[in-house]
Amino acid sequence: MNDAVDPFEAIKVVFFQECDELLGDLEAGLLAIEGGDTELETVNAVFRAVHSVKGGAGAFGLEDLVRFAHVFETLMDEVRAGRKACDDTMVKTLLRASDVLADHIAAARGQADPVDAARSAGLVAELEALTRGEVYVAPAAPVSDPVMDALATDRTGMDAGLAGGEAQAEAPFEPVPVMPGLPQADEFGFRPVVFDLKALDTLPPPAVANGWRVVFRPRGRMYAHANEAGLMLRELARLGQATVTLDASELPDLEAMSAEEGYLSWTVDIVGASESDVRDVFDFVGSDCDTTFTALADVAASAEAAPAFDIAALLARAQAEVAAPMMLEPIVSMAVAPPAPGAAPVPAAGTAPGTTTAATARPAASASPAASPSVTAASAAPTIRVDLDRVDRLINVVGELVIQQAMLAQRVVESGLARSSGISVGLEDLELLTREIQDSVMAIRAQPVKSVFQRMPRLVREVAEMTGKRVRLVTAGEDTEVDKTVVERLAEPITHMLRNAIDHGLEGPDDRVAAGKPAEGTVRLAALHRSGRIVIEISDDGRGINRERVRGIAVSKGLVAEDASLSDEEIDNLIFLPGFSTADTVSDISGRGVGMDVVRRSIQALGGRITIASSPGKGSVFTLSLPLTLAVMDGMVVSAAEQTLVAPLTAIVESLLPRAADVHHVGGHDAVITFREKFVPLIDVAQVMGFRTEPVPPSSGVAVIVETEAGVRAALLFDAIQGQRQVVIKSLETNYQQVPGIAAATILGDGRVALILDVDALVTNARRKPVRADLKMAS
Amino acid sequence: MMMMNETPSSSTTASSSTIRELIAFRIGEQEFCIDIMSVREIRGWTPATPLPRAPGYMKGVINLRGAVLPIVDLAARFGLATTEPSARHVIMVAHVGGRLVGLLVDAVSDIIQMDGATLQATPDMASDQVKAFVKGLFALEGRMISLVELGWIIPDVEAQAA
Repeated sequence: MNDAVDPFEAIKVVFFQECDELLGDLEAGLLAIEGGDTELETVNAVFRAVHSVKGGAGAFGLEDLVRFAHVFETLMDEVRAGRKACDDTMVKTLLRASDVLADHIAAARGQADPVDAARSAGLVAELEALTRGEVYVAPAAPVSDPVMDALATDRTGMDAGLAGGEAQAEAPFEPVPVMPGLPQADEFGFRPVVFDLKALDTLPPPAVANGWRVVFRPRGRMYAHANEAGLMLRELARLGQATVTLDASELPDLEAMSAEEGYLSWTVDIVGASESDVRDVFDFVGSDCDTTFTALADVAASAEAAPAFDIAALLARAQAEVAAPMMLEPIVSMAVAPPAPGAAPVPAAGTAPGTTTAATARPAASASPAASPSVTAASAAPTIRVDLDRVDRLINVVGELVIQQAMLAQRVVESGLARSSGISVGLEDLELLTREIQDSVMAIRAQPVKSVFQRMPRLVREVAEMTGKRVRLVTAGEDTEVDKTVVERLAEPITHMLRNAIDHGLEGPDDRVAAGKPAEGTVRLAALHRSGRIVIEISDDGRGINRERVRGIAVSKGLVAEDASLSDEEIDNLIFLPGFSTADTVSDISGRGVGMDVVRRSIQALGGRITIASSPGKGSVFTLSLPLTLAVMDGMVVSAAEQTLVAPLTAIVESLLPRAADVHHVGGHDAVITFREKFVPLIDVAQVMGFRTEPVPPSSGVAVIVETEAGVRAALLFDAIQGQRQVVIKSLETNYQQVPGIAAATILGDGRVALILDVDALVTNARRKPVRADLKMAS
Repeated sequence: MMMMNETPSSSTTASSSTIRELIAFRIGEQEFCIDIMSVREIRGWTPATPLPRAPGYMKGVINLRGAVLPIVDLAARFGLATTEPSARHVIMVAHVGGRLVGLLVDAVSDIIQMDGATLQATPDMASDQVKAFVKGLFALEGRMISLVELGWIIPDVEAQAA
């Protein structure tokens, strides 16, 4: 990951990053299809994803990956062309194929063992069987029979027209019966095989048989992806003697022209080049343009069959339309000699003989594809890939900057400079800028949780397969944004919890039916923002927590005393204890007894909390509540027994000055305060923290009403409120360990460390345990 | 406790015949030393923010250029009298495990070289608390210096709960 890395390796890293995204698109697309999405664009997206993986893998020589992707792509191409219906079985196979594709990528990346050859081969066979199940021969399939090739060619041209037409939402296309050897005009009047080049001087003698004809019709997308048709034509010209024919017949009138569409197509006859070389040129743009490859021998045969018909049809069409100048000259031919130095095909077309009448129209035409890449680049939000370490370093430095700025400001105040002095004014500007930089940097790290959610359908499929249960995963709120670190560290706990939900939560299909539920269980994974935190909910409609059993196991493992009286909530929480496992047998999926313990710890490490709500027979809901960012938060700076503390603003409801009459004592130590006609517990923070042993009269301090995640209210008693401030969160665990009642630390303007209170833990502990002022001394 | 004893003894055998550079410091009348490679910097005492429910030897945390640094009163940790820190006390910032920890001592006295062969085992008379940290004794110019093992300076959460 440093500068010394081989540039090729660096590109490969980017390729694999792209693969991750493509796999996400692939899976999302397939799931959408499974869910009943019939949009052609969805199918296209799936095809593109597979194709791009294949294209990139080919460039890096990842043979296994290419082979698998190719078979996958072939089938997807059938689906895309509408020759194969995407039924339920098909989608299931495709989903499994996407899993294997992911395995292939992981293996190629060196992250995983080589793919199970039998599994891969099995799926290849399955995919091929599905592909073969069609009457038609796939054009993209490696068919070696030249007769079949010739038959397929005409239809392919039509299909390309069809796909292009629908993608551009143009006039509906009526399929025309295929007549082998007798090409039909599609609605564009696009005739790939009509104008043989025999009339041209540069045409090689009839020894055309050892060449290839490529009909190449770029779509707007291809230009948007920064590919240039001219360069590809030049590349073709290098392969052998090439004859390029421009077909501008699809050019609309200038007013109707969209700057981001591709209207031009070319027919290139190449003599002396192999098929694979020719196909390689289009490797990276395959899905962004329509291409057909035909052996020249077959072209000659079919072209001779009906040349007169073609010309007549074309003239009729040209006359029928309102005569724009360009319509008189729909096709311009030119020849490119193999080296073709400096002659970009598109502008060169203007210099070809017999083009004078079209001189006014053509510049606009040739400008269209050339201009489109820059236009598109400007309109689509450009993105860059940045190593996460660099962003993190930036965030750390900005954190230091904020602290330093605050310290400087405090020093200036202490030095007694007038507020109107130049230094003070400048410092205020600096503060604004610092805050702005901080906000901008934090925004860089905000990421949708989608990247984690996308990995889950596969997991659910696999676990469902292993457990023999039928599971439907429903996700919601994938676009909820949260700090990148949080996103990354969510994957593991969510994985654990989904596994548990399926393995332990859901019943088998028979049990479910017996219980009057649908045989297919539902697991729901949802993300949402709630009061400045992100909440992740994992719920299932299974059997719920078996409290009897959980309690029994906890007692038998010595985790709780036999006679302990536990509330339902407390019993549910037993599953988070280290070493607790309810699985009778240790399975591959869950049941090693580390799951929920690890989940809770990793959530706590993120400053989050996990709660369970379970109702027997109906299912369980696990709720994770996490901070949006791990770096800064808004806090209220308070003091308690000469110590400065920070209370998270998100937990604070309001603050008030307690009157002695509002405070009532309950028993020896505990007190409550009247807040909006309700008694809420009053917690003397300094005493709970062990900063002070003797209680002070509540009326001498300030009470801050807080609310926990669970909605429990309490009043925290401090000596004074210093103010509200955004603080940079510093982990105590980096160099020390978790401290009960303390969420983290921060550094204040005076350079000293202040502790950030964990309001939930404070309230919960104060409620359950007697206040022990001597705790600090105890150990 | 078992684990506490394991670490010092196993590393004693590993280092028995090598020359090591150590940094010596003073707590009250006693002299101790630790491996110089584990010390990152030495700085003067700055007031620490106390931690709630922390053991008595945890003086609290200070800001070390943006990082939160826990301060351990070594005297209290070794079972000597608790230090009342003042401006002349010294904090040695040391790597302990994967963490950075500030060690509060009276003064840093010397940088010394020690031949591992001259190291003598901690006598059996020493208390468990001393044996947990002092992995050996050696003589230098008529003084006795205890070699300190830092591994268990800050207990893990489990150890503290037990």
